[in-house]
Amino acid sequence: MKRVTTMGAKLLLLGVSLFSLHAFGHTIEGGDASFVEAIDGPAIGPFIYLGAKHMVTGYDHLLFLLGVIFFLYRPKHVVQYVTLFAIGHSITLLLGVLANLQVNAYFIDAIIGLSVVYKAFENIDGFKRVFGFEPNTKVAVFVFGLFHGLGLATKLQEFDLSENGLVTNIISFNIGVEIGQILALSAVFLILSVWRTSSSYLRHSFITNTALMTGGFLLAGFQISAYLFQPPF
Amino acid sequence: MAEIDSNSPPSSKNILIASVISLVVALIVLFSFILPAEFGSDPLGTGELFGLNVLSLEENPLEEQLVVHKTDSVEFILGPFESVEYKYLLDMDSSMLFSWVADGELYYDMHAEPAALGEEYAESFEQGNSNSRMGSFHAPFTGIHGWFWENRGLSTITLQLYSSGFYVNSTVFRDGGSYERELQTVTD
Repeated sequence: MKRVTTMGAKLLLLGVSLFSLHAFGHTIEGGDASFVEAIDGPAIGPFIYLGAKHMVTGYDHLLFLLGVIFFLYRPKHVVQYVTLFAIGHSITLLLGVLANLQVNAYFIDAIIGLSVVYKAFENIDGFKRVFGFEPNTKVAVFVFGLFHGLGLATKLQEFDLSENGLVTNIISFNIGVEIGQILALSAVFLILSVWRTSSSYLRHSFITNTALMTGGFLLAGFQISAYLFQPPF
Repeated sequence: MAEIDSNSPPSSKNILIASVISLVVALIVLFSFILPAEFGSDPLGTGELFGLNVLSLEENPLEEQLVVHKTDSVEFILGPFESVEYKYLLDMDSSMLFSWVADGELYYDMHAEPAALGEEYAESFEQGNSNSRMGSFHAPFTGIHGWFWENRGLSTITLQLYSSGFYVNSTVFRDGGSYERELQTVTD
């Protein structure tokens, strides 16, 4: 019982520290937003930068990727899974913006939060032991990639994007997203690799993934609240 | 009770317990901290308790001022390649409304210089060529805020500016010099 309470306390601490990262509705903001609105024509450099920035500062995407590579030990497997994720989100990012797919941003972000919950639950063997089946992890990563891409597309479409140079700009944004993802993943993978050399890694993997799950629940809860409390205009 | 053995795979019971704790912790954090701080809802009274409610207060669109606002109208005649600069002294967060109309196209640059810092800290808000511009302006800092106009054509152009706002005074910069101009209240 005591063990469980300490775990609860640790989770609470993690939850609070996650939240002090403030801006939860992870969007494109401030000066970047006015830039995106004002642009008329191809702007490869700026959109690559914005895509990379969105990914590197996007803890919702990062938490998911942390969950995905948590038990991937070989760089080859990391590349495989991340490629699946990248293909998934590239498809919906490009199609979403080009086909003008309008999906509620809060809804998508809540699903992205739940994707973190899903991955963490899978990492603690939840599906195998509680429900007695193992979902295909590659398919799951690909499908959640589709949702993450739809989230990115929704964020971009909140702006009045100019048709002029649209395709170039979205492809640039997407390239930026991949660059940002490689940067962030390399950092996460390095840290995990160092941690893996210590025996505490496996010992703490259960608690770490439970904490990750809490983070996912929080992300989803935040987005659902944002949906419920959004101003009526 | 639910002892978690770190060295063997977790049992389904422990997985369920951990998942439920995870969900409950998330809900507690959501209801006690995030709702009050982000969404102005305080179902458990914790927003009041920890003083979090202030974080979700919306910015008041009302900006109170302590003096009566002023109005001003001014006319400039610009011969070919002549230019003039006209700026109002505005405190930070003070606003003004303006309309300027010319009978020909002028190059303009709406910009501001922070008080006591001078030209090198000037910030430009809009530049272009036009016969007229209308708008509202909210001073981002205390200083002089206004326009540079230049006649880049060959005919003489008359420019008329109307404004109202919480400015203190205005200054004309012309022919290498500058002087404070008495505001001319708009009467009709």
